[in-house]
Amino acid sequence: MIELQRVSKSYNKGRVKAVDDLTLTVNSGEIFGFLGPNGAGKTTTIKMIVGLLRPDAGTIAINGLDAQKDSLKCKSITTYVPDYPAIYERLTGLEYLNFIGDVYGVPRADRLERMTKWLEIFELAPAVSNPIQSYSQGMKQKIVLIAALLPAPQVMVLDEPMVGLDPRASYHLKELMREHCDQGETLFFSTHIMEVAERLCDRIGIIHKGKLIACGTMEELKKLSEDMSLENIFLELTDK
Amino acid sequence: MRRLRSLVRAALKANFGFAVLSHRLFREKKDIWIAAVVVLAVIGIFPTLYGYLRLIKGLYGLLQPLGQEQAILTFSLLAGQFLILLFGLYYVVSAFYFSKDLEMLIPLPLKPVEVMLSKFTVILVNEYLSVLAIVAPVLIYFGILAKSGLTYWTSAVVVYFFLPVIPLAIVSLLVVAMMRVVNLGRKKDALIIVGSLILIAAALSLQFFINKSPGSEPDAQAMVRFFASPDSLIKRIGAGFPPSIWATKALAGGFSGPGLLNLLIFVGTSLAIFCGMLVVAEKLFYRGLIGIREISGRRKILSPARMSRMVSSGRRPVQAIFRREWRIMNRTPVFLLNGVLTAILVPVIFIIMAKAGGGDDTFILMRGLAATKPLYVILSAAAFLIVCGCLSGTSSSTFSREGSQFWMSKVIPVAPREQAIAKFLHSYVIALLGIGAGSAALLAIFRLKASLFLAALAFALVGAVALTAIGMIIDLARPLLKWTNPQKAIKQNLNVLLALFADLGILAGLGFFITFLAKSGVSGSVVLFIVFAAVLLLSWFSCLFLLRMVDKRYQEIEV
Repeated sequence: MIELQRVSKSYNKGRVKAVDDLTLTVNSGEIFGFLGPNGAGKTTTIKMIVGLLRPDAGTIAINGLDAQKDSLKCKSITTYVPDYPAIYERLTGLEYLNFIGDVYGVPRADRLERMTKWLEIFELAPAVSNPIQSYSQGMKQKIVLIAALLPAPQVMVLDEPMVGLDPRASYHLKELMREHCDQGETLFFSTHIMEVAERLCDRIGIIHKGKLIACGTMEELKKLSEDMSLENIFLELTDK
Repeated sequence: MRRLRSLVRAALKANFGFAVLSHRLFREKKDIWIAAVVVLAVIGIFPTLYGYLRLIKGLYGLLQPLGQEQAILTFSLLAGQFLILLFGLYYVVSAFYFSKDLEMLIPLPLKPVEVMLSKFTVILVNEYLSVLAIVAPVLIYFGILAKSGLTYWTSAVVVYFFLPVIPLAIVSLLVVAMMRVVNLGRKKDALIIVGSLILIAAALSLQFFINKSPGSEPDAQAMVRFFASPDSLIKRIGAGFPPSIWATKALAGGFSGPGLLNLLIFVGTSLAIFCGMLVVAEKLFYRGLIGIREISGRRKILSPARMSRMVSSGRRPVQAIFRREWRIMNRTPVFLLNGVLTAILVPVIFIIMAKAGGGDDTFILMRGLAATKPLYVILSAAAFLIVCGCLSGTSSSTFSREGSQFWMSKVIPVAPREQAIAKFLHSYVIALLGIGAGSAALLAIFRLKASLFLAALAFALVGAVALTAIGMIIDLARPLLKWTNPQKAIKQNLNVLLALFADLGILAGLGFFITFLAKSGVSGSVVLFIVFAAVLLLSWFSCLFLLRMVDKRYQEIEV
C-alpha cells in the first residue's frame, strides 16, 4: 500500500512547482496507472515514493511505514525501475543480479529459482554472463526488471516500464504485473500507453501541472467524460 | 571553417561549463562557495609562488656568473612539456574515445579530423592552464631579472602558445594509432590499459634518459670546458627533447638571427607534427573510435550446475558494495589509470628519478640523517608514504564516480553508513597499494633501517585512515554526479583537488606542530608518541564525522 498525503515538491527555489499538494492512496493488490503529459510531475512523484527526492511538504507511507523515518524498512520492501536505467555497465548481468540479491538479502535458493525463471521468460539467459555494457537498451531494461522482481517485493514502482521492450517482453511484463498484484502486492507505474493503462490498471490517476486532476477506476473515469476512451478522457482533461 | 569554429566553441563551453556555472552562481545563487574556494586557493598559492620565485632568483644568481642562466628556461620548458606528455595521455584517451558526446557528434556531417580537432583544442586549453604554474613564473621572472626587451616578451608569448603543441600532438598520434589496433581486438578495455601503460613506460624511460647522470665524475678540465660554452647546460638538460632547446634559444636570442631561426624551427616543428597528426587523424580516428565502446559478448546459456555455482550464496551488504566498487574501478580504464595506477606509478617515478639522478648520494645523506635525527627520518618517510597512498584521488571521487548510477545507492535497503564503510575499505585498499609501492621506493632509494621503516609505516597506515575519510567527506559534501566523461569524475573533479589541498594542509600543520614540539625541547620519542596520538585521534574523529555526515547527506542528495 502506498499513501501520499499532501505531498508537494518544487524546483528552482519554489519557482517551478513539480508536484502540488498531491494526496493519493494505492491499495494492496492493486495495479495503479499514473498518467500525465510530459513534465506533469509523474517522475518527480515516483522519485519521491522511492526516496530519490525529498518532498518539500507532506508525507509518504509504504505499507504503513513512513518513507522518511523508516526509509530502510520501506526500501527493503520496495523495488524501483526507472525510465532510462543507468546501471553498472561494467558488471555482468549475473554479477548485477547477485549484487541486488546480496543487498536485499535474498536467500540463495530463492535467488537461483527466481533468476532462472525470469531470465528464461525475458530471454536473457544467453547473455547473463556478458557485461551489461554489451546489452541493447531493451536488454538493459529487462535486467533491471528482473533485478526488481528478484527480492519478491511487496511494492513495485515502475517508471515507463514498457519503453524499449519488444512485444513479447511487454506481454510477459504485463502478465507478471497482474500476477504480482493478484498475490496481494502493490504496483504503481507510470505510462504514456493509454491502451496498457486502460486494460491493465485497477485504478488510474491523471496528473497535470503537478496536481492530481482525476483518479479512479476506468468506469469512474468514463463517467467524468461521457463514456469516452481513456485517450480522449486524457486529452480532454489535460487540455485545460 | 565556420563549422569547425562553432564545434570548438561548443566543446569549450561544454568542457568548462561556463553557462551552467554562471546559471548556478548568478541565477540560482547556488554554489557561491565555489567562488570562495577559488579565492582561498588563489590566496593559498601565494606562499608557494613566493618560494618558487625565490628559487628562480637563487638559481639565476648561481648560474648567471657562469653564463648558464638560460638553463632555467630550458628546465622549466622541459618540465612543462614532459608533464603534458605524461598526463596528456589520460586526457587524450578519455576525451577522444570516452566522452559521451561522441555518440552525438559521429552521426553529424562532420569530418573525423574536425571532431578530433575540437577535442584536441579542449585539451590544449586545459594544458595551457596546467603548465601555467610551472612555466609562466619562470618566463616572466626570468624576463624581469634579465631586463629583457620587447623581443623576449614577444617570443615568450609565441613559445608559450606553441609549448603544448608538440607533446600533445605526439601523444595524440600515438593514442590514435594505438586505438586503431585496440579496436580490432575483443578485450578492448584490457588493450587500452596495456597500451596506455606502454605509452607511460615510454614517457618514463624518456625521463630516465634525460635525467641520467654521467657514469664517471667529470675532471676539472672537462668542467671548465663545460662551463666555457654558454649553452652547454641547456644542451645537457634538453638533450632528450630538443624542442626545449629551440624554445630557450628563441627566447634568449630574441629577434636576432639565431633567435629567430630557433623560433622558426620551434614553431615550424610544432606545426609540422600538428599537421601530421591531422592527416593521420582523418584516416584513423573514426576507425579507432567507432565501435570502441561496443562490447560483444558470447551468447551462451549457462548450464544449471554452472548457474548454481555462479549465483552467490549471500554476502553481507558491505562485502557486496566493496566488490561492486572494486570491479567497477578496475574495469573502467579511465578510473583504473587515474586511481589504481597513479597510486603505484608515483613511487615508481620517484625511484626512476632517484636512480637516474644518482641514488647513492641520497642513500649516504639518509644514513647520516638517520644516525643523527631519526625522528625526522621517520616522519618524513611517513609523510612520503601517506602522500603515495592518498594521491590517487580514489577516496575523494568515490561518490562522484557513481555518476548517474547513484540512484541505485539511494534505493537499495543498505544504510548509508554501511555503504560508506564499504567505500572506505575500497579506498583504503587502494591507499595501501600506494603505501606498498611507496615502501618499495623508500627501501630501494634510501635503504632505511627496519626499525625506522616500520615506525614510518605505522604512521602511514593510521594517517591514511584519516586522509581517506577526509577525502570521502569532501566528495560527499558535493559529489559530482552529472558527468558525461568518466575523466571528469576523477581527474577533472574539483573535489580531488580540494582533498589534495586538505591533505597537504594537514601534513604541513603536523610539520609545524612537530617543529614546535622539537624546538620546545621535547625528546624525540615523546614527540613521536604525541604526533602518533594526534594522527590516531584525527583518524578516529574523521571516520566518526564521515559516518554521521553520510546518513544526512544521502537523504539530501537528490538524483
